[in-house]
Amino acid sequence: MVDISLNHVSKRYLIDDSSRSPSRRWHTFDFLRKPEKVKWALRDVSFEVEEGESLGIIGNNGAGKSTILKLLSRITAPTSGEIRIRGRLAGLVEVSSGFHPELTGRENIFLNGSMLGMTRSEITGKIESIIEFAGIREYIDVPVKHYSSGMYVRLGFSIAAHLDPDILLLDEVLAVGDLAFQAKCLDLISQLRKSGRTMILISHDLAAIQKLCDHAMLLQRGQVLMSGSPADVIEHYERIAMSVEEPIYVGAGADAKLAECQNLAFTSEDSDQSVRTGYPMIARFGFRAHEILDDVVFNILFYWPSGYLCAQLTTSLSDPHLRIGRGSGIVEFHCPVLEVQPGLYRVDVAIESNGVSIDSQRRCSVLRVHPGKSVLGDFYMDTVWRMLP
Amino acid sequence: MKQSIVPDSRREHPILGSRLALPRKITVIRPPGFSFGMIVAGLITLFGYQDLLYTLTIFRISIRYKQSILGWIWAVLQPLALMTIYTLIFFRVARVPSEGAPYPLFVFSGLLPWIFFSSAVSNSINGLINYPALLTKMYFPREIIPLSYVLAALVDFAIACVILSGLMAYYRVPPNWNDLYLFPIVTILGAFTSAVALFLSSIQVRFRDVGVALPLLLQVGMFAAPVVYSTTSVPLKFRQLFLLNPVASLIDSFRRVLLHGLTPDFAILFTAGLVTLCCLAVSYGYFKATEGNMADML
Repeated sequence: MVDISLNHVSKRYLIDDSSRSPSRRWHTFDFLRKPEKVKWALRDVSFEVEEGESLGIIGNNGAGKSTILKLLSRITAPTSGEIRIRGRLAGLVEVSSGFHPELTGRENIFLNGSMLGMTRSEITGKIESIIEFAGIREYIDVPVKHYSSGMYVRLGFSIAAHLDPDILLLDEVLAVGDLAFQAKCLDLISQLRKSGRTMILISHDLAAIQKLCDHAMLLQRGQVLMSGSPADVIEHYERIAMSVEEPIYVGAGADAKLAECQNLAFTSEDSDQSVRTGYPMIARFGFRAHEILDDVVFNILFYWPSGYLCAQLTTSLSDPHLRIGRGSGIVEFHCPVLEVQPGLYRVDVAIESNGVSIDSQRRCSVLRVHPGKSVLGDFYMDTVWRMLP
Repeated sequence: MKQSIVPDSRREHPILGSRLALPRKITVIRPPGFSFGMIVAGLITLFGYQDLLYTLTIFRISIRYKQSILGWIWAVLQPLALMTIYTLIFFRVARVPSEGAPYPLFVFSGLLPWIFFSSAVSNSINGLINYPALLTKMYFPREIIPLSYVLAALVDFAIACVILSGLMAYYRVPPNWNDLYLFPIVTILGAFTSAVALFLSSIQVRFRDVGVALPLLLQVGMFAAPVVYSTTSVPLKFRQLFLLNPVASLIDSFRRVLLHGLTPDFAILFTAGLVTLCCLAVSYGYFKATEGNMADML
């Protein structure tokens, strides 16, 4: 049985032109015309998810992943096409957004539960179990505005978990409450999956997609680029991400800047070797300065696919008063031992002078780290050891 | 949106244990549009969410009074204060005729339906934009938000009616079997109020001008209805047009039944019902057609 099917679905967002102020719109009756700026978040997307299957959707920011979630959860309507959903669908996303701060935990269970589509009698039957799972029995008759953020989210998740949906929507891997509660949630999700619930998971965490999904789909600019086994799709995605050549420029045009980042390259010491964990890495940061600049700092930031800032290379530690002349140049960073684990890292570069950002380019490159010295954990720690007599 | 039922079997849930699986409904989502089908489908979905409407109405009322000392008294203080002011201005100073009834009672019986209408409309139009997180993160039929404000205002109206009956006892206006006609009158008024609330709150999401203009419109609206004066003061040649406004004709019927113990003028009541039905259908259809893109505009 097919649980979810999207049939040539498109979604268009109309973007208000901010240059037309509301009062001007009123005077010129511009508001009667259609906004001119249009953004297609999804274009002619079709796919199906079978009962019990779990689908992972990957893609860059703005590829349309969250739009698919919003369409499926009916928060926003498609511009064209048709979506069919068989059974009850629930998102374990933003679980406490329906809470009202003035109401007690118990009242909020009823409010949020009915927003999720439960009837009052259904909630009455489950309320003890909801309170138990959230672990906040002492505070259940206190207004939720006095809750800690962890209790807030735990209660929200607990309500959503009791919805007993046929189809689960998950956005990113849950970062809910403390570690013990996170483990409880992940355990619940894997049990739900085992018991045959259909799942759609949207994540930047490629490892989670590979681990949790039977099937993966790659989105690019609102279209399905590829669909298949998680391993194949992730490999294809990484290949595309590697070939990113056009950086995203932030800020004004190059002519208005005092200096700009020009290029970035990562190599190992031997030019025929790839960059590997535990081995040396060289980063070359090309720049062009239009003025003589004082107190210059060059930064390279590395992010995990989830967006977590993982490491930084900077010139500020050894020389905070760097002075550069007009013209182009290259900063070479030499890491004797690359400590990050194999995988794909997104890279930002930035130039600062006198503590002010002069040029910054986000996501301008990708660092692919290949397996080298293999250890468990998040980092490779360079060590020497000896046997004591 | 169509729904049909497909059978299913038992299944496991980690917390709730093994249970009989509920039959699965098929939901079809299509681009929104203004059509009869959308209205019917919307009403069916709304029926499924009746518990939310109930819960939300209760909470609207309890939140409103939770942090105020006077609590429920506010529901009657406003009409009583206005009654005093209007009695001073329109009876003592301007000598407005009041169909032979004591003026305080006359104006109070007009104020209650009017305050119900105006507070329901002015509370509900901001309902959708006050909590954007609800609209951008969760799905439920959006009309429940404005409708819950209308129902909460109806509860305030009921409380104020207790004071009204006290006032009637004080002026020795006896209760009458014709008072049962109040139920259809209030029902039509509630339906018309919902129509206005739905329409305006849906426009408010797109153009916030509605919220700015509303206090003025309601001020004008009050004098377009027989609240402080009697319908008999309206010149005969304008009276038909005047009573085409359901709020005006319903306030008039309300007073006629309550103060004079008469049956309502059925032709007028029927017209009000018909106008209300048309307004409600158009306004609900419009609301449903714009509902799908509301989250994009916040």
